[in-house]
Amino acid sequence: MEAIGHAGTCLGIIAEDGVLLAAERRNVHKLLDEGYFSDKIYKLHDNMACSVAGITSDANVLTNELRLIAQRYSLQYQEPIPCEQLVSWLCDIKQAYTQYGGLRPFGVSILYMGWDKHYGFQLYQSDPSGNYGGWKATCIGNNSSAAISMLKQEYKSEGVKLAEAMKLAVKVLSKSLDITKLTHEKVELATLTRDGNSCKITIMTATDVQKLIDEYEADEAKASAEKKEKEKASKS
Amino acid sequence: MSIMSYNGGDVIAMMGKNCVAIACDRRFGIQAQTVSTDFDKIFEMGPKLFVGLPGLATDTQTVAQRLKFRLNLYTLRENRAMKPKTFMSVVSNLLYEKRFGPYFIEPVVAGLDPKTNEPFICSLDLIGCPMVTDDFVVSGTASEQMYGMCESLWQPDLGPDDLFETISQALMNAVDRDAVSGWGAKGYVIEADKVTIKTLKARMD
Repeated sequence: MEAIGHAGTCLGIIAEDGVLLAAERRNVHKLLDEGYFSDKIYKLHDNMACSVAGITSDANVLTNELRLIAQRYSLQYQEPIPCEQLVSWLCDIKQAYTQYGGLRPFGVSILYMGWDKHYGFQLYQSDPSGNYGGWKATCIGNNSSAAISMLKQEYKSEGVKLAEAMKLAVKVLSKSLDITKLTHEKVELATLTRDGNSCKITIMTATDVQKLIDEYEADEAKASAEKKEKEKASKS
Repeated sequence: MSIMSYNGGDVIAMMGKNCVAIACDRRFGIQAQTVSTDFDKIFEMGPKLFVGLPGLATDTQTVAQRLKFRLNLYTLRENRAMKPKTFMSVVSNLLYEKRFGPYFIEPVVAGLDPKTNEPFICSLDLIGCPMVTDDFVVSGTASEQMYGMCESLWQPDLGPDDLFETISQALMNAVDRDAVSGWGAKGYVIEADKVTIKTLKARMD
């Protein structure tokens, strides 16, 4: 749990027409080779994706297992696995590591986003103990408590579209991250939407993320300028 | 009675100029009785990758599902589409695992390389022996007839429309000479930018 508290922040938000996951990329080092595409956000199945916070090697093992579980269900029942079942299956495995065998638990918290025909868009969070819960918006990792309190204030459960939710995610991330300025290299954003009869998981491109960040900063600048105007007006 | 001709069915694949075509008949029968006329034996494994599985119908369905399983995991882990040649190895591996109790199908793979769009066709026997050719591959209960038709009709470097004509004529005339095949045909022409699917009405018997 300690390791997770220091790991890169991940947050998830459910909107009316989709779910999104945003993650802070911690390893942005000049010498680090940019071999792979997505650092923190993993596609699990056509209808589910997840984001991890904690010990990366444990996370790799778990995401692999999640993918296998989803495929086996799909092979047996010829339909995509319902979200809660996938989460609950993995959490049973995680729990086993806390009770049997003398092994250490997996040091990862995972945020899952998905869609199924029973409950629509869903967001789940699981931790090393094997506990899991369904959320409308939540955050794990570094400064997660600050982010959660901000989400509590700002999140509206009715009538929020995905675009608004993305703006909210950028806002919360920028306020809760340690670094001074948010750039597209430090943030990974993925969304899950329904396109007719199938799910679409999109990992946003660097340019799109940068556009969102720029929009947010423009809004912020406008808001602080307006505040200054008000203060000046009230003083005089 | 042979297991491979219990349900009946055929698949042909042909190589064209920067395109491939794959076609199958649509009959599903139990020996002499026809049960269904919309049982396709070609499955899409990727945007430009198709596999045809003629033979015992239950194995057709099972192998298609198991192949999709392996292909999905590959795509998720490697974050890229599978090449047709690699897919051939996956099929071969899956079939050889059952060397002494095999799946009764003789698959045909057709597709374009996801990056270079190079066309690829191959066929395998029921225990996974792959055979890559650069003209055409046939498999099914009317294979002798199909070999004859393809040998006479096929020419190298056919365009997508000509290729479709050729493969359709080859398949339709071959299955007309086979009692357990036919009842319509479905042809896929796979090009770099699109896949055209056409259903043909042949001798419906």
